[in-house]
Parts: sequence; C-alpha cells; structure tokens
Amino acid sequence: MCELRHDDCRNFIPVDVAKGICKLTNELVMIDTPVCPECSAIPKCKFCSNYAAGETPFLGECKASKKGFWTYEDLKAFQCEDFAAKKEYTEVK
Amino acid sequence: MSLKLEDILKEKGVPISFQYGGTAPDEIVGREVKKDPHPRVKKLKNLFLQTLSSASCEFPYWYTRKFQETEGDLVIMRRAEALKSAFLHITPTIYPGELLVGGKTYHYRGSFPMPWMSESYYMAKEDELFQAALKSGSASAGEVSTFGTGGGNVTQSVGKVTSIAGKFGMRAEEVPALVKLAREWVGKSVDDLGHKYEQMVPEYQMKEQIMRSVICMFDSGYTLPQGREVINYYYPLQYGFDSLIEMCNECKDAVAGRAHGDGITGMDRLYFYEAAKTILEGVSGWIENYAKEAARLQQVAKTEVERKEYGDLVDILYHIAHKQPRTFREALQLTTFIHLAVINEDAISGMSPGRVGQILWPWFEQDMEAGRITEDEVVELLECHRVKFSLIDCFACAGVVGGVLAGNTFNNLALGGVTRDGKSAANRLEMLILEAGIRCDSTQPTLSVLYDDKLPEEFLLKAIECDKMGAGYPAWMNNRGGIEFMMKNYAKEGMDLTNARAFSIGGCLETSPGIWKELVLNDRKYWIPGGAGQPTSVGVHFIANPKVLELVLTNGFDHRTGEQVYPPHNKKLDTYEELWETFQEYYAMTCDCLTTTNNIQHDIWRKHNMAIFNSLLKPDCLDKGQHIGNMGYRFNATYNIESCGTINMVNSLAAMKKLVYDDKKYTFDEMKEALLNNFGFKTAAEVGSFSLGTQEKKDGIDKYDDIHSDCLRAPKYGNDDPYADEILRAYEEWFCEMCGDYESLYAKPLYPCQISVSTHGAQGAVTLASPDGRLAGTTYADGSMSAYPGTDRNGPYALFESATCWDHSQSQNSQMNMKIHPNAVIGVEGSKKLLDLTRAYMRKGGYHIQYNIVDSKMLIDAQKSPENYRELLVRVAGFTQYWCEIGKPIQDEVIARTEYEGV
Repeated sequence: MCELRHDDCRNFIPVDVAKGICKLTNELVMIDTPVCPECSAIPKCKFCSNYAAGETPFLGECKASKKGFWTYEDLKAFQCEDFAAKKEYTEVK
Repeated sequence: MSLKLEDILKEKGVPISFQYGGTAPDEIVGREVKKDPHPRVKKLKNLFLQTLSSASCEFPYWYTRKFQETEGDLVIMRRAEALKSAFLHITPTIYPGELLVGGKTYHYRGSFPMPWMSESYYMAKEDELFQAALKSGSASAGEVSTFGTGGGNVTQSVGKVTSIAGKFGMRAEEVPALVKLAREWVGKSVDDLGHKYEQMVPEYQMKEQIMRSVICMFDSGYTLPQGREVINYYYPLQYGFDSLIEMCNECKDAVAGRAHGDGITGMDRLYFYEAAKTILEGVSGWIENYAKEAARLQQVAKTEVERKEYGDLVDILYHIAHKQPRTFREALQLTTFIHLAVINEDAISGMSPGRVGQILWPWFEQDMEAGRITEDEVVELLECHRVKFSLIDCFACAGVVGGVLAGNTFNNLALGGVTRDGKSAANRLEMLILEAGIRCDSTQPTLSVLYDDKLPEEFLLKAIECDKMGAGYPAWMNNRGGIEFMMKNYAKEGMDLTNARAFSIGGCLETSPGIWKELVLNDRKYWIPGGAGQPTSVGVHFIANPKVLELVLTNGFDHRTGEQVYPPHNKKLDTYEELWETFQEYYAMTCDCLTTTNNIQHDIWRKHNMAIFNSLLKPDCLDKGQHIGNMGYRFNATYNIESCGTINMVNSLAAMKKLVYDDKKYTFDEMKEALLNNFGFKTAAEVGSFSLGTQEKKDGIDKYDDIHSDCLRAPKYGNDDPYADEILRAYEEWFCEMCGDYESLYAKPLYPCQISVSTHGAQGAVTLASPDGRLAGTTYADGSMSAYPGTDRNGPYALFESATCWDHSQSQNSQMNMKIHPNAVIGVEGSKKLLDLTRAYMRKGGYHIQYNIVDSKMLIDAQKSPENYRELLVRVAGFTQYWCEIGKPIQDEVIARTEYEGV
C-alpha cells in the first residue's frame, strides 16, 4: 500500500500543482505535507486493480483497455468506466 | 561607474523628458477609483492570486488514447472521438463559494499541453524534464510558497513541481507521462508534418534564417492556429445541446451520400455533422459531470446555505447540459462552458466573448422584468465571470507564452457600438459589466468600448470611471473605423452595412467580422451579434520593421547571428529613395516566404487538427455542413501580416533622411559604423535594463557622441512634424496596400494588422542600435501609433495629429497607448477631460487608444519590491496584465513611456 498524499484524498480540492483546499478544515494545504488520519483515496490509476506498474517510474499499463494502453499512476479515474479499486483502498467514487 | 544615457543628455542640456504637461509630485499617487468585489468573489479572487499556473496530462492522455484506438477512421472522426473522450474524462472541480463553475482542467488555473499540435519542445527537453522529475524531493511548504515572486508563473522547478517553459508547473509524477505523450506524436503532430512539407517551399532557407534572426516572431500554424477572433454563443443559447444534436442527425440524413452539386467537398458534410454531433455529446456530458459533482457536494454539505447553493447548481447544470437556458445566470454559465470548450479544443489565445452585454440582454431583461434577479446579483455574477476568465491559461511554447502573450489570453469583451439599424447598442447590462470590471479588477475579460458618437454620455463616463480605476480597460476602438474596415475587407464575401455593425474585437484589438442572429426567448425576438469569421491570429506574425531596416543597412547580413539572411542587395544606397525601395524589397521577400510556409502549416492544421466545436458554433458551418478548413465560416479573409516597431522604423528613416541624405552631415558608412558599434554603449543585455535612458556608455569611447546626439535630435514621430509624419504616411499607404499582394491558403488576400502585444520587447532585444538613436537590445516603442518613450514633446493633440496622418480604416487596427498620471484626470472634471481626449482622437480617425492611469513611480517601486504589488495591473499593448507576471524588458518599456501630467 503506497503512502497517500493530500492530492490522493477525497477531502482535497485541487487548486494547483503545489496545494489545494482541505474540505475538513477549509484551509489551504500543501500536497506534499503529511496527511491526517481522515485521508481516503480517490479513484486514480495507482489505486485501480487494472493498473500494472511498468519499468519507467510513474508509468504503467491499463489492463482494462483492449490494446493494453499505457497509463500513469496519478491519472484521476473519477470518470473512468473501468476503474475498480484495489481492495486495500477505500474507494469513494 | 559607467555613465547612463539620461545623465549624459542631462549634462548636455537635452534631457530625455518622460513627463509632459507638468511635473508629478514626489510622493507616489495611488489610483482614484477603487472598489471591492462582493465578499464571495473577493475570496475566489484571492485564491486566484495565490494560484500557480498548473499543467496536467489528463486531457491529452484521454485524447491521445482515443485517437489511437480509432486508428483507421477518418481524421475528423478520430479527432471528434478523441475530444469527446477527453471532455468526458475531465475531473470536475467546484470551489467553495462558486456561483459559476467550470475550468479547463481540474486545477483552478489549469491548462495542458497539446502534443498533437507540437511535441518538439518536450522531446528537445526530454532528458532535462525527466531528470528534474526524478531528482525531485519533498519541498517544504515554505519553499513551495516562494513561487509568488512571479505571480502565478512557475519560473523554476521546486520540490515535486517541475517548471515547464518557465511558466507552467507540472507535478513531477506526471512528467514521464508528458514525455511519453510527446513521443506518441513524433512525426504526426501539426508541427512535424508542417515542417516536412514547408521545406518544399523554394524560399524555405530564407524563412529559416528570418526566424533565427527573429525578424518574424513565430510560426502560426502549430503554435496558435486559432484565436484573436470572436466566438459565437448563439446556437447553444438558442437551441440547447439536445436540439443541436437532433439537428445534426437530421442534417446527416439529408446529406448522406449526396454531393448536391459540390464534387469536392459535398460528401464531407456527412462526416462534419457526425463529428459535430459527437463533440456536442462530449461537451454536454462534461457539463453534466459538473452537475453530478455538485449533487455529490450537496450530499456532504455542512450547512443549509451550502446545500441550497449546490442544489441550485445541480438544477442549472443539468438544465444547460441539454436545453436552452432559462435565466441570466444559466445563460452566463452556459457561455462560460462553451468558451472553455472552445479553448480546450485547440491552442488558442484571444478567443473573445464579444458583445456579451448585448448577447445576454434577453435573459437580463426578462429576469429583471420578472423580478427573478437584482442588479446587485447580476454584478456579483459578472464578477464571478471575471475571475473565471482570469483563470484561463493558454499552454503554448515558451517563446509564444513569454515573448508574445506575456501570459495573457486576450479574451476581449466589447461594449457599445451600434445596433443593426444604426442606433446606440449600449444597454444597462453593459453598465453593470463596467461596474463589475471596476469592482473586480483582473486581467480577463479585458474590456473594449466600440466608440460611436451615438453612445450616451452616461455610458461613456461610466467607461471613463472604469479607466480611472487604473487596470487599463476599457480600451477605446473606433466603431465607424471598424465598420469601414469590415466593408473594405469582407464585401467580397457578402458583408453588408447591417452585418458590418455586428463586428467586435477579437484578441487585443483585432477587428473581427460578425453577423446578427435572431434569438427567440419566451416568444420574444431579439437580434444578437456574434462572430462569423476565421481567426485573425493567423498569417505572418510580427515582422520586426526596425530589424528589416537594419538588414537593409548591412546588405542583408545579420551581425547578431552571423548569417546572410537576405540576398545581398549590393546597392550603395546613395539616395533616400533607394534606401526606401530596398526596404520594400526585403520586406516583400519576408512576407512572401512567411506566407507560403505558414500556408502549408495551416493546411496541415486544417487537414489534421480542424476545429469542430468552434466550427459548429459559427455561421455558416452548420448550414453548409462544412468546418472551418472547408471554409464553412461566413468570412474567411482573415489572414494578416502583423508588424512591430513601426515608430522606431519611421524615426530611423527620418534620421537617415535628415542626417545622411538631406543635410549630408554624416556619410552612410559613418552612420552604419556608429550603429554597428552601438554608439559606444554597452548592449542592453549587458546592462540588464531595456529602456533607452538607463543604457550605459562604454568607458573611453567618445567618437560616436556627436552622431548619437544628432540621431536623438532628428525629427521624431508624435510631434505633428511633417518631416517624420510624411514618412509614416508613405509607409502606411504602401504597407496597407502591399499586404494584399499575398494570398492565404483560403485564396484570400492578406491585410495589415498593426499591434505589438509583447513582441516589441523580444524583437527589440535582437535589433542593433537604430538610426533614431535607440540602442542595441532595447525595447521598441509599443503598439504602432504610440510615440517612442520621451520623444513626444508637444502634447497629446500633436501626437494625435501625427497618428492620424493616414487612413486607419485601411488596416485591421492601429494601436496607441498613453500613460497618464492619476492627478491629471482626477475628479469629475478630470473624467470629462479624459473623455474629451478620447473623443478627439476617435473623431480624427484614430482607431484605438488605451490608457495606463498610473504613477510611474509606483511602477518603479513595484519593480524593486514586487512582493508588495501582487495585485498591480498595468496595460501593456492591447491587454492588461499583473505587473509581477510581465518580463523585465516590457516592464522597463512601460516605466519609460511618457507620463502625461495634464491632458
């Protein structure tokens, strides 16, 4: 199970590449600061059972795509019809 | 310590005066008009001011994936399916307190690369980007927060944020995906394919040398292939998405398998309607995804107020995803989504909303009559609209974003003008748009008044009040001049006086054709204006006039690059006439090779990357069943030749004429030697400053002092001096005519466009000293009718006389910027003076004027301490920008502009 970041969390509203708003506190939080116990994973490829990590860092393969199209860990998957959360993550789709 | 030019001239008793009409007080004077936005908007605006320009790969990933999955299908369908997939996969984000929702991506100020347009930058930087991403470690919150010094620009990589082109930030974890996406498009992008075929143009080598010399600023086919045009919101506003999809299906049935007399493109109609239907489904679904997100937020909202606001959003968004809007708020929300959809479809700057106050008038009028909304609520919504538009970023290559756009996206909202039957078109909603522009000062949408003597005084004074707020808008455009240009340029495509009155401003100040469409709302009929022409961001982009003159003087050789750019003319240039003729010859060569090569790039674009959504919005694509590339638009003669540095060129020709040919005080060779030696000064790059007065002399070199003094004292434009003005008149008459010698890929003649945007900084940087006394590497005069800083010594009315010595309606535009000290226009009397000044220029036939009402000392202080001025807005050349997001050459130029202490 990978370490969660703020931008992996359902309570996080993304503002930019460095920060967002935490809905629990309504405060700005920096993405790369430690998360709180309330953090729960959003749909992303890295949390999907169809995702297979590849050799290049952060890249992998989408097993759900017919042609085995590549993908990347942090791709959000809210709108992906094939997203299936890995068991170890709480999926809040 | 080296002497500065301004000190040298002061000693000689000929100071460069950057003030006219008095002396500004010693202390910094603030702006007179200052109001605050509504509390919720203030929060949203404050969030914007803290937000970094952020790029992500979500949209390009889904676009690329679907494009590959549809391999073998028609290009237009692959593109439509790819766009639909990308829109449907955008993660919707709704920020606390938003009344208007929607964004290009899930970031607040988000954008994304389009490698299908050009991937070469990422491939060239592949290793660098990868290394930056892989090396990234955790940055402290403090480190990441230091980004603020460049405003929202991510000027360097920090922690897990990778800087791209010194402007956009991308999460380091996404950079490998960006590089992978770029690889997928190698050899297939518009850039690569265009490059393959443009090399077949016989003049290609010269074109490459011209680009390296920066005589031309950039190619347009794969950088910004659309833009500086006026959008048309009519069809979705009138019919809603469901009816439009139904219409596409009906049209498909009507044209499938039938050429209807058009053996070349008749059959293409079926594919266009199918593609249009596909993308309409994508955009409708994208809006619906926002409705679903609002519904989710409603479920988890903590307060009743929040639940109510999210509930309202759910109702609004589900409705406009399918049907004609019912209320002003719904109409404004729908136009916002349409706008975002168009600029997500292609790399576009200057997609202008047009005459929004007239387009949305039906909903405003009926809501007000029914008591459904108050004016205060309308202003609040319009403030939200300003924030939403200010968040728009255009992701293009570094040279274009920094060197041309200065980070701006030029979404110009026009006010005023006349109705289709020639009456004042200003209305109450436009007064509220101005009020929102005052309360929520921000970069977008920038505002322009289409000045006409028929506009009511109350409206004009409201616009002046907005100018005095100091953000540089509204700009003032000549409505009559615009109509004349419409008739001149588009009559062959059926433009008549009625539709000429529907024109608006696309981009900074590009006069763009439109038409009126009849809109029916609750059985009431209205005529609303909207864009009906191709982009005007296309053609030959920014020819550096002083640089062309420089190469005339150097026999076609660029001393900066060490390349022979033009064939040597080998003339002695014994007479002014010979000098002028040679300039015309080199200029013509420039236009020719740039037109042919850009035509090829655009031809690749229209075959591989045609606009589908933007096409279906604009008349007459839906009627004809043809997209932009098949000339579906009503008006297609929009390709232009853009110039830069006109006034430095005019002043330089005046100096050559006076000192070398008429008075024969110096020989041609003496002048040339002085220029090549920068009159004994260091270069601007060495000094680190880009305005004339701050340039430093090299120690011990005095031999060029006299000639430099004489060059600076030679006749200058802007003083009602016929010596210089006659040169401008001759140039304009030639330039406006010669552009028509070149033909676009749509077989239409080109026309002149005379704005500088930010190119006067970049192109000044590559130009040696010029005969007007300007020193190497310093910025040109801005715009095309602004005087060179410090040289307009006879007041504004003398400047106007000079500027209007030619017929501005022969050109798409002209551009004059003036800097006025706030004290000069203070109070009601000051407002009236400023309106009189504006009116005087318009009545003389000037096309455009805009004001920086700011104390220069504030700008100098802001340059020293940008952290104290995050919200300081200035007018550059056709656009308003945050001071801290502008490059130093342009900052120096704005500071150096003559400051009028009285008008």
